[in-house]
Amino acid sequence: MSITYTHRHVLEDHITGFEARPNVNHLSVIRRPAMAVVLAHGGAESDVDLALDMIEGVSKRVCGPAEWLAVAQDRTPESLLRALTSIPGASVLDGSDGHVLMRIDGPHARKVLAKCVAVDLHPDVFPIDMSAPMLIAHVAGNLARTGENSFEIIVPRSFAGTVFEEMKEMGRDVALTAGFG
Amino acid sequence: MASLITCPHCGSRPKEEFSIRGDALPQRPAAHAPDEAWHAYVYLRDNVKGVIFEHWHHVGGCRRYLVVERDNVSHDVLSVTDAARFRRAAASGQDGVVAAGKDLA
Repeated sequence: MSITYTHRHVLEDHITGFEARPNVNHLSVIRRPAMAVVLAHGGAESDVDLALDMIEGVSKRVCGPAEWLAVAQDRTPESLLRALTSIPGASVLDGSDGHVLMRIDGPHARKVLAKCVAVDLHPDVFPIDMSAPMLIAHVAGNLARTGENSFEIIVPRSFAGTVFEEMKEMGRDVALTAGFG
Repeated sequence: MASLITCPHCGSRPKEEFSIRGDALPQRPAAHAPDEAWHAYVYLRDNVKGVIFEHWHHVGGCRRYLVVERDNVSHDVLSVTDAARFRRAAASGQDGVVAAGKDLA
């Protein structure tokens, strides 16, 4: 007997009802990204760091010394893992179901995030492509700047509901909309 | 209390991201050390006024243990070092990690 599993996103219950078209300030929840935790063995830190930059379609998020999150939006977790396990000196763990990826875009993205994190997000100190682990709405997560006015947030799955609701609340004054995208 | 800690891995961060884990200087006795040594390690601690070395765990960030050297009178943070580096420097007697190295060696 074969069992068919239904994939259901953890924020499915938080995004219900009728939401109008996305406004300029929009929080999108990425439905099925592939994410993996990468740890470098002692002595291989800089090699793994460089190797992560070379993989096509994978973006690297800094989680601490010798630890990264590899994020791919157009790959399956299996294909991401295959690409990462070929890096010598790296230990890789699949984290696709354990994390939730959200993206906030819009001219007021930084203003909304300023109410959720206690880190300076000015482009001079937090430029495009930079990422850092930090508390996001009191939850330990990872924030990355992907554009002048867009940021990506990664939080543990079990806290995603809290962070999502908190972000929506903080974005009310700039009419932040939210949805899958 | 010092409200901004410059983590060597993450940069300037608010104290809310950290959990203070106590004095960084006492050396844990060996497992078979006499009870007196364990009693001294667990219960007999100095309550220093002035410059102290503490373990701060960066739970909200890189999750590394840091050794924060700070003044509990003026609230100045004097140095922040990764605990592993602090321990290595102390063991090898390097100059890099200030006076604490000498205390530990």
